[in-house]
Amino acid sequence: MRTPAELRRLGVVGINMRNARYLLPNNPRRLYRFVDDKLETKALAAREGLSVPETYAVIRTPHDASRLEELLGDRTSFVIKPARGSGGKGVLVIDAREKGRYVKPSGASLSGDETRHHVANILAGLFSLGGHRDCALVEYRVRPAKVLTSISYQGAPDIRIVMLHGYPVMAMLRAATKESDGRANLHQGALGIGIDIATGRTVRAVHHGSPLTTHPDLGVDLIGLQLPQWDKILDIAVTCQEMTGLGYLGVDLMIDETTGPLMIEVNARPGLAIQMANGIGLMRRLEPVVEQHRLHPGAGHAEKIAFSRKHFAA
Amino acid sequence: MSSKWKLIVAVVLLVLAGGGVAAYKTFRLGVPFWKGEQVYDWQVEARVSFLATGKRVKARLALPAAVIEGKTAQESGSLGYHFNTEKNLGQSTAVWAAENREDSQALYYRVRFPDGTRSGGEPLPAQAPEPGPAAMPPGALGEAAKSIIDRLKSVTSDPDALFVALFDQIRGGESSQEFVLVKRHYEKEFRNNAPILMGIELLEMAGVPARMAYGVRLDEERGSQAPVPLVEYGDGAYWKVRDPSDPSAVLDGRSIFVWHRGGGPLLDVTGGESSRVVFTVSKDRIPLATLTDLQDSPFLISTILGLPLSERHVFRYIVLIPLGAFVVVLLRNIVGVPTLGTFMPVLIALALLEIPLGRGLIMFTVLIGAGLWFRFLLSRLNLLVVPRVAACVVIVTLLMMAMSVISYKMELKGGGQITLFPMIILAWTIERMSLIWEEEGKRSALIQVGGSLIVAVLAFLFMKIGQIQYWSFYFPELLLVLLAGILLIGRYTGYRLSELARFRTFADA
Repeated sequence: MRTPAELRRLGVVGINMRNARYLLPNNPRRLYRFVDDKLETKALAAREGLSVPETYAVIRTPHDASRLEELLGDRTSFVIKPARGSGGKGVLVIDAREKGRYVKPSGASLSGDETRHHVANILAGLFSLGGHRDCALVEYRVRPAKVLTSISYQGAPDIRIVMLHGYPVMAMLRAATKESDGRANLHQGALGIGIDIATGRTVRAVHHGSPLTTHPDLGVDLIGLQLPQWDKILDIAVTCQEMTGLGYLGVDLMIDETTGPLMIEVNARPGLAIQMANGIGLMRRLEPVVEQHRLHPGAGHAEKIAFSRKHFAA
Repeated sequence: MSSKWKLIVAVVLLVLAGGGVAAYKTFRLGVPFWKGEQVYDWQVEARVSFLATGKRVKARLALPAAVIEGKTAQESGSLGYHFNTEKNLGQSTAVWAAENREDSQALYYRVRFPDGTRSGGEPLPAQAPEPGPAAMPPGALGEAAKSIIDRLKSVTSDPDALFVALFDQIRGGESSQEFVLVKRHYEKEFRNNAPILMGIELLEMAGVPARMAYGVRLDEERGSQAPVPLVEYGDGAYWKVRDPSDPSAVLDGRSIFVWHRGGGPLLDVTGGESSRVVFTVSKDRIPLATLTDLQDSPFLISTILGLPLSERHVFRYIVLIPLGAFVVVLLRNIVGVPTLGTFMPVLIALALLEIPLGRGLIMFTVLIGAGLWFRFLLSRLNLLVVPRVAACVVIVTLLMMAMSVISYKMELKGGGQITLFPMIILAWTIERMSLIWEEEGKRSALIQVGGSLIVAVLAFLFMKIGQIQYWSFYFPELLLVLLAGILLIGRYTGYRLSELARFRTFADA
């Protein structure tokens, strides 16, 4: 256990403080729809020319769901996800289709009926925030760049960048482990790998909050890896802030083998585990940004990136 | 105004409003603030007795004005008499009338009032201008009286002090020559209450209007008591009542009740002889709900007690819900206990109030466990969400019936009282739990259900505290204070207790 004074000294931000000091004042309710609904986010992204996974189909009605196979055409790998899902709930990744069955990356397979049932659950709002009716997105299944697949036990690692007022303040990579069962959820045992904002290199890794240097299942080094196209990643993140208008947000990205960085989703309530992955309290990054934003409210895209890279280098 | 100040103003206003109404109820209406305190009603019965002389009888008994206004007075047990009350210049009188009465007669009049509120002897504004000092009696008596008054006046400055000094002397058996002379005169003149009448007349001669008043000692032990003679005097602005045997003290509403003031006779009987009135006092413990002062208060004050009994019963539970919500806020935002759904624990806690805790928890666990098992069976049928939850409701209901029947057969009581268990909530809980089970693993699901259960039990224990229930029912305005507390927690930006553990391995990179 740590005392509150120690945590304060380390600059750790707690949920209450995140909500009261950064979320509520900077994220007006009306902007949430741009990020809570992935269709809206993707529409905004398309207007900005951001790279996102290609949408194959949007399933809005049970009738659409019954025509799933028809909508898919001859695509064999894709992702089905709820438009209003959160935290990866309800995401179904299909790698291949064999004899009418849908094969997941883990090797397990679903029948056509089971897949349609999953879609029906999405439509009924089972995974959506607040249980509202929802629609299902069928989109391109990202094939992560080699450097990323090498550090993940199944599943595709994603990059989370937390931003305040458009300044990237902290970044991490989430990689699956055997324990997390291909998921990139930290409290289910995925790895959190801190990334240097200045260079895009991994600097530190934690598993269940304890630091480590090699992947527990794969044994590969986790520290010192260079993420490809880091400039573009920061650029996408800042653009996401500009297009949504949210003051405090997390941007999730994946790096595709062929198309490069893709924006996956924007999160208006990014979690606090990123502090653990980086070993730095968020307060140490947020407070300078608050001050900078106060002094230069009209700072541009490039200035913000430059500021973050300069001040938040590991 | 910054939001911080707005919050502080809101909190202060809420605390003042809630605390103010509660204080008013406690101090003015006499609703005890602590549960253990008891509230008493005094019941004072006046018994008028006389020997009727066979002619037309008319008895007039002056009534305490304060109590008559409270509508709690009642005449009783005076068969064959025509009864009515007269009101004249704020003075109420009970009038009994009958023809051709003989022998001893008894008439009763009873009043009820809450303990410790008002003595009925509070200062009343004087209405008519005061007459000048009464004339001195002639001769030696007059001179003696004058010298007594002059001496008293030389050492006192106002009517209150004069009153106290005069009656202290009368009580203390002052032995100066003038005093003894005057005293003898009054003892010769009046058989009853001579010292008091002497005091009154001396006061009048000194220019302080004074008259007799009558009170009742609030003491059950006394049995039937004669009216206690009191003195009412005017200090220029107000009429005050004091007890001549304790002149310096203001009347204590807990030990004496002023029955009659304002001059005029206490009892007046025509057509009867040897009339007298005696009082009997009894102290009744009363249920708070019948506190008439509270019931008749404006709706803001009486709140729940202004409702008919049947509706009050529902509120017994409704007023507890905010308390449960408060516990949830506390445990989620300060402690950081994970729960399934924000306020589900409150509903479970409410259900637990009806059942013994242990049995309630067993019931909850069995229902959730069995429901979960059925839910996994149902999931094989690939049902749509809403029908699946509805199916779950049906199964939960059947399970509850089965449990009731089994516990009845096993002669356990309490199985039948589970109707309050929020079935729809349970069904949703099962549904969400099964999802979390599939999505995040059983550990996550169990932690969240366990968290919910802990919060529910703590909320239950909080709502179960007698004092808390008492406050929420009799002082619902204190919910405003609770609201202020919740607003304050709403601005708490410190760490949750759970975060101290979560970040325990946190170290500088």
